[in-house]
Amino acid sequence: MNQPQSYLSSASDDLRTEPWLVRVVIIAVAVSFLTVFVVLPLVVVFAQAFSSGLGAYFSALSDPEALSAIRLTLYVAAISVGLNLVFGLIAAWAIAKFDFRGKTFLISLIDLPFSVSPVISGLVFVLLFGGQGYLGPWLQSHNVHVLFAMPGIALATLFVTFPFVARALIPLMQEQGTQEEEAAISLGASGLQTFFRVTLPNIKWGVLYGVLLCNARAMGEFGAVSVVSGHIRGETNTMPLLVEILYNEYQFVSSFAIASLLAMLALITLVAKTILERHLDEGQQPRGNEFK
Amino acid sequence: MIEVKNIVKKFGAFAALDEVDLKVADGELLALLGPSGSGKTTLLRIIAGLDWPDAGEVSFDGENALSRGASERHVGFVFQHYALFRHMTVFENVAFGLRVQPRAVRKDEASIRARVKDLLDLVQLDWLSNRYPSQLSGGQRQRIALARALAIEPRILLLDEPFGALDAKVRKELRQWLRSLHSEIHVTSIFVTHDQEEALEVANRVVVMDKGRIEQIGTPGEVYDNPATAFVHAFIGESIVLPVEVCEGGVRLGGKALGIAANGAPCGASKLFVRRHDMQIGPAGSGALEGAVRHVRTFGPIQRAEVALSEGQTVIEVDAPRDRELHAGDIIGLHPRRYRIFAAQE
Repeated sequence: MNQPQSYLSSASDDLRTEPWLVRVVIIAVAVSFLTVFVVLPLVVVFAQAFSSGLGAYFSALSDPEALSAIRLTLYVAAISVGLNLVFGLIAAWAIAKFDFRGKTFLISLIDLPFSVSPVISGLVFVLLFGGQGYLGPWLQSHNVHVLFAMPGIALATLFVTFPFVARALIPLMQEQGTQEEEAAISLGASGLQTFFRVTLPNIKWGVLYGVLLCNARAMGEFGAVSVVSGHIRGETNTMPLLVEILYNEYQFVSSFAIASLLAMLALITLVAKTILERHLDEGQQPRGNEFK
Repeated sequence: MIEVKNIVKKFGAFAALDEVDLKVADGELLALLGPSGSGKTTLLRIIAGLDWPDAGEVSFDGENALSRGASERHVGFVFQHYALFRHMTVFENVAFGLRVQPRAVRKDEASIRARVKDLLDLVQLDWLSNRYPSQLSGGQRQRIALARALAIEPRILLLDEPFGALDAKVRKELRQWLRSLHSEIHVTSIFVTHDQEEALEVANRVVVMDKGRIEQIGTPGEVYDNPATAFVHAFIGESIVLPVEVCEGGVRLGGKALGIAANGAPCGASKLFVRRHDMQIGPAGSGALEGAVRHVRTFGPIQRAEVALSEGQTVIEVDAPRDRELHAGDIIGLHPRRYRIFAAQE
């Protein structure tokens, strides 16, 4: 009695999954790919950063040029995340809760920065605000400096990171529909009360998710910023730009020290993203039940 | 009193409401009954201020309601899928309407708490006040949605398919419960349903709608016994419909005179409507119609026979009491005790 049973179960095991050799090979390929292309580079970044010891690492980070780059990156990220949060909320609100002509056009317009090369995004601002650009001469005569200064860097970053918040919110808000807002209004709530008491709490995890991705990109953006920054040392270099400059000058420890900060940002973002995704999934569960 | 006059609402070329007039008296429990796409939910949303008509008037006690937004109309709306605030507890859901009031009229925290507790007692769910909507059953959500709508002391209560998303047993219980709640608090209420049984059982008055128009307004008895149009007869209760020809007072089916009065129906192609249980069964040759029994099915207190009429190629179903002997193959006579004739094409 025992033998046929075990024979059956092992046969069904073979039928349900691939042979062990195939499994081992597939997993090995995936793991080695990840090791070579993801884990190894991360390890190299930190190894290089600490190659001359902790003291060299921290002195590289406290160099005035490095501090200025960190400060500029934080400013630019704060500005672009803040503005994109407001724009993204408004755009997602309009698209998800109302029907109007040109809605699909607006959605593809929001996606535009994703499909354009960052270099082009930067060049657009050079064309607009540069010395020979459309607005440049007028702005210069009024003593406003956009290009090769913080406003230009912020604008380029703003453009590149525009889709993140809106993209995170549109599907979420479309799925939630407008019924809770209608209920709030029929109960006497004003537009603002409805937004802050009903809409915003329902999308808070989505908002955080969008802000997180937006921030990661804003701090890490290289191409668009490189075009508009002018690379003025201690003034218009963001962290990614400084990493490149230091590397080209063979200052590997300093270069990788700053790179390690960006790598840490990536790791923190990854962890936070996983946590937020879990919250977003939880938020969706009761909704599925509601219609049963 | 709620008054709706000449309301027109179009979605593109489709007329959701086509010159609808309706008066709702204070304290009434009114049902808007119709198939999907008949415009009943649109009418309800226009009364609530969640949709705006293209033309027409809505007034509450003589005041123009269209000049006010939904938040100023003081209308309690219960949504089909309840639309409870998912991030708030049951207690906070019910308290919402009280908390968003302008500071000048807002009650203090203690009175809000007392009021919410009263409402939760009223819907018999005070023990759920700390739960979240996702932790409730459909019937409980429905009652919480009702309590939330009642919190603002609405001048009318509007319910969109209030029992639509519930299973059959809970639906029956809630129907009775809604009726008794209405007789307790007497708030003017309008509910939308596509379920005729629900409308006839719960409402004081029924408004039957089709294709954006009101077909008939009447008590449940009136719309069942004296349907005003062919649509109402077919929609409410089950009917046998026969294509007949009316001329000079006579009614003909497939060329044969039926020997029944036309009851004032105009000449021309018409439809004869008979309720299944109003078709009297007798021996062959005893009635206006004759047919061969094909099948007999028995369920509950009745038996239902499928009869192929000898006039015209029509098969109908008639109901008979169980003690009446009926077998497949029998030739029987049929006579409509009560019937109505409507012109075939309106």
